[in-house]
Amino acid sequence: MGGIVGIDVGGTFTDLFYSADGLGVDAVLKVPSTPDDPSRGLIDALKAANVAPASLDVILHGTTIATNAVIERRGARCALITTAGFRDILELGRRDRQRMYGLTGLQQPLIPRAMRWEVEERLDHRGAVLTPLDQAALARLAEALAQEEIDAVIVSFLHAYANPAHEQRARDILKAANPNWEVVISSDVVREYYEFERTSTATVQAYLQPLVSRYARNLTGKLQELGFRRQTLVMQSNGGLIPLGQLHERAANIVRSGPAAGVMAAAKLAAEAGFTHVITGDMGGTSYDVAVVVNGAPRIAETTELDFRIPLRLPMIDVHTIGAGGGSIAYVDRGGILQVGPRSAGAVPGPVCFGRGGTEPTVTDANAVLGRINADQPIGMKHLARLDIEEARAAMQALGEPLGLGIEQTAEAILTIVNHVMARRTRLLSVEQGHDPRAFALVAFGGAGPLHGAAIMREVGIRTMLLPPHPGVLCALGCAVADLRYDLSQTVEKPLSDIAPGVVRDVLTGQRRDGEARLSASRTPLDSVVVGHAAEMSYLGQIHTLRAVVDPSWDHARMIEAFEEVYRREYGNTLGDIPVVIVSLKTSVQGVRAKPEIRPSPLQPRPAPSKASREVYFGGWMTTPIYDRTELAPGMTFDGPAIIEQADTTSVVEPGMHGRVDAYGNILIEVA
Amino acid sequence: MDPVTLAVVRGALEQIADEMDLHLIRAALSPIISETNDCAHGLYDPVTGETIAQGGYGLPMFLANMQFTVQRLIPIAEQAGGFRPGDIWITNDPYLSGTHLNDVILVAPHFVDGKLFALFANTGHWMDMGGSVPGGWAPTAREIHQEGMIIPPLRLYEEGRRNDAVVAMITANVRLPQQLLGDLAAMTNVFALGRRGLDDLVARYGVATLKDCIDEMMRRSEAEMRSYIAEIPDGTYAITDYFDNDGVVDEPLAVTLVITVEGSDLVFDFTGTSGAATGPMNISDATTRSLCFVALKHIFPEVPVNGGAFRPTRFVIPRRCILAAEYPSAVGGTTDVTQRIVDVVFGALAQAIPDQTPAAPFGTTGVATVSGRHPDTGKYFVAVYPYPGGYGASRDSDGLINGTPPGSMAKFMSVEMSEHRYPVRFGHYAIREGSGGAGRHRGGCGSDYAIETLTDTVISILGDRVDHAPFGVQGGGPAATNSVVLTTGGRSWVPPMRSKAEKIPFAAGDSFHLGSPGGGGFGDPLERDLAAVETDLNAGLIDKAAAEAVYGVAIATTRSIDGRPVFTLDPERSRARRSGMRPDRRRAG
Repeated sequence: MGGIVGIDVGGTFTDLFYSADGLGVDAVLKVPSTPDDPSRGLIDALKAANVAPASLDVILHGTTIATNAVIERRGARCALITTAGFRDILELGRRDRQRMYGLTGLQQPLIPRAMRWEVEERLDHRGAVLTPLDQAALARLAEALAQEEIDAVIVSFLHAYANPAHEQRARDILKAANPNWEVVISSDVVREYYEFERTSTATVQAYLQPLVSRYARNLTGKLQELGFRRQTLVMQSNGGLIPLGQLHERAANIVRSGPAAGVMAAAKLAAEAGFTHVITGDMGGTSYDVAVVVNGAPRIAETTELDFRIPLRLPMIDVHTIGAGGGSIAYVDRGGILQVGPRSAGAVPGPVCFGRGGTEPTVTDANAVLGRINADQPIGMKHLARLDIEEARAAMQALGEPLGLGIEQTAEAILTIVNHVMARRTRLLSVEQGHDPRAFALVAFGGAGPLHGAAIMREVGIRTMLLPPHPGVLCALGCAVADLRYDLSQTVEKPLSDIAPGVVRDVLTGQRRDGEARLSASRTPLDSVVVGHAAEMSYLGQIHTLRAVVDPSWDHARMIEAFEEVYRREYGNTLGDIPVVIVSLKTSVQGVRAKPEIRPSPLQPRPAPSKASREVYFGGWMTTPIYDRTELAPGMTFDGPAIIEQADTTSVVEPGMHGRVDAYGNILIEVA
Repeated sequence: MDPVTLAVVRGALEQIADEMDLHLIRAALSPIISETNDCAHGLYDPVTGETIAQGGYGLPMFLANMQFTVQRLIPIAEQAGGFRPGDIWITNDPYLSGTHLNDVILVAPHFVDGKLFALFANTGHWMDMGGSVPGGWAPTAREIHQEGMIIPPLRLYEEGRRNDAVVAMITANVRLPQQLLGDLAAMTNVFALGRRGLDDLVARYGVATLKDCIDEMMRRSEAEMRSYIAEIPDGTYAITDYFDNDGVVDEPLAVTLVITVEGSDLVFDFTGTSGAATGPMNISDATTRSLCFVALKHIFPEVPVNGGAFRPTRFVIPRRCILAAEYPSAVGGTTDVTQRIVDVVFGALAQAIPDQTPAAPFGTTGVATVSGRHPDTGKYFVAVYPYPGGYGASRDSDGLINGTPPGSMAKFMSVEMSEHRYPVRFGHYAIREGSGGAGRHRGGCGSDYAIETLTDTVISILGDRVDHAPFGVQGGGPAATNSVVLTTGGRSWVPPMRSKAEKIPFAAGDSFHLGSPGGGGFGDPLERDLAAVETDLNAGLIDKAAAEAVYGVAIATTRSIDGRPVFTLDPERSRARRSGMRPDRRRAG
């Protein structure tokens, strides 16, 4: 087995995880990202880790380039062609506003109205042609658009999911007018109803496609120059990988791939350690991402809003984000109540203690003032040798004085409040999904997650927290442990009584064939293929659907039984004789990659050796042992208060908590 | 008061209310609750009835009227022997609780060590409460009884035991009894969740500390609210706006508001508003007050939602006017009347704080319903299409298009989903060109859509804003008014009440065509950025005539892409043209 590398290209840092034999950890590091050409940052990371690309079996890779291009509106110049009467679907959305309160502010559609066009054609909801496609008019439009500066054209016709013939014909006509265009048709991207969501998804795909294709080409070229001839796999937002070569037609699938990779890795590490119900908390500089894992599987969201009125209807790991991070700014509101975030000091000016001109106290400053982070070894900082604690204390003093709080009290109050905000979102997320959060373990990661995990766990009532071996680069590791995955879906929207026998089987087996064909096209060595089928169902008239795991061999009675079982589990009852509708049929095809199995090490129970101690504030200054993560071995134990330092993060263990290192090198923190 | 405990307790109390919201939204059978969050949950002072905390997921509409309802229920409960552990009170009396009969309110006392500590309350929209029209909405109702059954305030649970006779009485009078029982069970279950949260908090901090925190929270919220009001210049700001008619009598109805700001006190005086309408364009005074707070919160989104924030305000609402409905006035027009409260508060405050206040939004919820039997199944269906529309422009930005009403968060159904479910076909769904009020910032355009029915159906529409346009502010122009056109038997016609029509029979192939209003403009259109005018022109949001006559621009060149014109402005001639127009405009103004 050769080496593997997992790389997560984030907005600020590119993280790398390297294993020479696919088993051990040989390098973990962070280098600055290079937003102008992100492939350069990736190559920089390989060089910094001293990895010879030719020695690698596979490179696994997550990236934020797609997310950032949408948020910053740096995508391709696109034109949209719709059914006559519906060119505004993309901008209208579904009658909403940005926030519950406040009526100001605007949206910025990815394609302005002046570049949205219509053509005569119309299908009904069964896919029957009501008005044939006006091919001559479309050809004229295509000729005219070919004179304009446009990179990509999207075609989205009403009910195309039921019959893609018009969209396919339109694509041919457009390609004939300009073979250089990227042409995306909505039925290729989402085979489901909801015209706004489907049109938006197709638009995001086209908007990103040229950029992502360019990125894939650049990266492939650079890796080849360095002698790498093997497979590069890219993390998708559904937690599965696809080959770099297939990326150009699935550009929208890699939006938010970094957070997805983190959740995958957290779920995987927790499962190995024996925890199947997990809440993952990823805290970085500006945000806290939380997700729920039930029975080892991260929850999947069907639709995600990338920005106001830009939904993406693709299965994505359901990651919720709030504005709470190391850079979150503390302030006193008009009512005289201390608040933290969501405003962030960002990378520049950053926290006061970073000495880059920041003057407003942040969460990181609070951690620094209380001795929780090591002022003499700033993580990821090249420009300074030591954090400026004096300035941070001065900022705390200024903030706390009107509240009657001292410096340490102010810093501790900031932590209490930001921890409370994160604990609150963590609890709400699980309650929203019908779970009791106390039955879950918390996996804390990200640069700041392990600093705050103990408090979140205490606030939520969680009993165990797992700190992975390399919490600061977990997303990079997540790429390395993931498998290939393709999700396929098709709208049916008919009562079971109206569906001919055999139709369900044919749709599901057809989806399976499609997925397997893509797997074999990926040329990736696989151990096995795992296929899962599901049906989204509801009672006739209901808006919300429930997903039941189904089998292609089942008859209608068995399908209804499966639906009722899920319904009863969710709501405690069923609705009796109301007809059951199949809204859509779904198949996921996963290619499980050949991976060496990580074996647990034997546990040798003994106290962990501390490397030093320093004064850390926990309601009062306490002499606190400092542990070096690299010296912690399976079986070692220690008691809080404790600080654990390592290259990528710092972990805090509160007084009254107990820590032990498990057989996989995770630290498990429990409330004593 | 320890500032950290205070912040944490406030967060924890809000969390309890949020969790109650989310629990009901997930468990309710009524799609109106689960899809559009038509519900609210909160925790109230058992003596004053003031809001301690209210969930952040329920509709804005309920922002303050939960408190007013609880305040009215407290003396009623006291007369009936007071609150006892295990009691749950119920009512949907709209004159007491606000809104309409479909919004059912439950109130449950919470005891700590045998002492009444707080009241929990929730409200949820039940799909049908009986009455002459399924769903409870009757555009030509003249009295409440046509709209459904009234549940006066009474104990649904007495010391933990459900009064099954009351439940049987209710279910016997509604069209969807099974669904109602499910929603009732879900709403009562939510209290258990709230109790658990509050008991945990009591165990952690003790009753005395919690009470101190709550008192302090109220004081802080009042201080915060006062700090905003104090920034509004002292003075009196008056506005009158009109409804077209009440759906029964074709005469305009006036809404007059005088806002008086004195230091950090705010008075909303609705004296001069029309007396009770014959038709259903009435709302209770609790809802009128609630919507004033919704408008304030749209202007100052940071204002906290608890009783303290309501303290600096006072209301004068004449009895038996359309904004203080009394028995037996019909109240089904609540969806439209409520929106107008927001409009007039904006209109008055725009005179005082023009930099913070947007122009009028589209101002009509304009619900269109299509009902009949589905030809495929023979089953009865009701499809509901509430208007989207434009928002008013502000100092910050142009107005949004296709917004949801300011008091709501409800969405519009997907065209494809709609055609799957109902025998209807959309002709178009588009931005209504030219409908946003002109201004330095342009009002959002309204929406334009046409729906054809594919079988025999019955159509009802309840809207407004045909005769009186959403207004602009600071020199901004008004938006286009509402437009309702029905086409039956090949003939197109406007209903006699313009945007209100009840139970119009449609045959297969008949259609209706709606154009919702846009939002008003902000500031002088002659000051609009030239590039923005060019973009609007090329997007078709304004036409060439408006660009030249209203925005005062000069066009340099015109080319076309597939027949669609693409204009380029001439900046120099535009500036000259604008300076030539300014004196004219001043004379005209």
